[in-house]
Amino acid sequence: MDINELGHFSNPSLLILSSLAGGEKHGYAMMEDIYNMTGVRLGAGTLYGAITRLEQAGLIEALPMGDRRRPYRLTAQGAAVLHQALAELEKFAGLGLKRLATT
Amino acid sequence: MIRSLRPWLTRLYPRAWRDRYEVEFNALLEQCLNSPLDILDILLGAVDAHVLLFSGEPLTWRMLNMLNKIRTSILIVFAAYIGFVVAGFALVGMADDSPMIALTNANPILLAAWTIIQVCSAVALLAVVIGGLPLAITVIRRALTATHQGLGLLLVPVFAFLALVLYIFFILAVGSGHIHLKGVVEAVQPGVFPPGNRLIMVGLMAIFGIGALASTLAVWKVVSHTDIEQETFQAIRRNLTVRIYNFAFWPAVVTTLAMLIMLVATIFWGSLAFASLPGVFTGNFGPWGTGTQPWFIGITLLMTVCTFAAFLGLKRVRSGERSV
Repeated sequence: MDINELGHFSNPSLLILSSLAGGEKHGYAMMEDIYNMTGVRLGAGTLYGAITRLEQAGLIEALPMGDRRRPYRLTAQGAAVLHQALAELEKFAGLGLKRLATT
Repeated sequence: MIRSLRPWLTRLYPRAWRDRYEVEFNALLEQCLNSPLDILDILLGAVDAHVLLFSGEPLTWRMLNMLNKIRTSILIVFAAYIGFVVAGFALVGMADDSPMIALTNANPILLAAWTIIQVCSAVALLAVVIGGLPLAITVIRRALTATHQGLGLLLVPVFAFLALVLYIFFILAVGSGHIHLKGVVEAVQPGVFPPGNRLIMVGLMAIFGIGALASTLAVWKVVSHTDIEQETFQAIRRNLTVRIYNFAFWPAVVTTLAMLIMLVATIFWGSLAFASLPGVFTGNFGPWGTGTQPWFIGITLLMTVCTFAAFLGLKRVRSGERSV
């Protein structure tokens, strides 16, 4: 079974925040980066649905548009939220691995 | 086949969403719209955007909606003003070719009404220029930078004006005898229009009317697709930040009131002038020798419709502001 089927990396918002943690990117660059990181290919509708929410929540911010592509970057608040989410994932992953080791 | 669906798919999203994301979203779809699954994903995204819009939670959405409403309302006033200008030119053209101007100059009441029309037309023009200047500068600036989006549309009024000027030069050349055309006379007697001269005047009205319509539609489209709320201008030694549509509101009020006064003054002037010269009203002093009566009724009808539309536009601005 592919790990993606378990839904570990299916949260588009988390994927986008993680992608932008590596630097500012426009939509297509985010899609490619997320695919390279996780093997998940987000659809355009899903990607922009998440971008809309993240921007409204102030977790990412839009930069001036160039050649019809608008890059986005992580805000300080977005970085903090991503850090917290990944820390929780790490904690959860550690716990799961520990339980697996004892079985 | 799938790629040809792109413009239709984007239109499924709410207008407020498209105003913010349409350009970049379309650029993305050019690269990644390949399969029916992509279409399904976009359809779900459109539903999601509508749900997000109507959930009432994010203030930004409601503000975008309000902005759209105010923008459309200001554009309605602008389009109504252009329609009124067309009617005004038709009125002046009709009066110029009739004995009404001589009567107006001889009668103080008629002269006062005609002067009010002229003063109000200047006031309305000034208000449109003042209210529209920040918007025009911003739209042109945006069109000239980055995406060049809307640049072609902004050239429509320029070409329409050039076409009108060229045609007027052509008429002047015919009138002065520099160009000779079969069936066209150089000097037209009042009320007597040879078919050739009539055709030239039809051409003038067509160029003016089509130019005004095309220019209004082009400006409407480019403004409604330009993402503007406020803009900072470099004034002398300081930055001036203008909330574009709020700034345009009071000039729009002045324009609308000027239109109303002009409408009333036109009806008053026409009624009095035609009562003094009934032969003119029942005569043929309309363009290319057509009846005065239907033209005057048509002109006042167009002015009434435009004034009414402008008032509706102003009412929408206020309701847009209250919706936040």
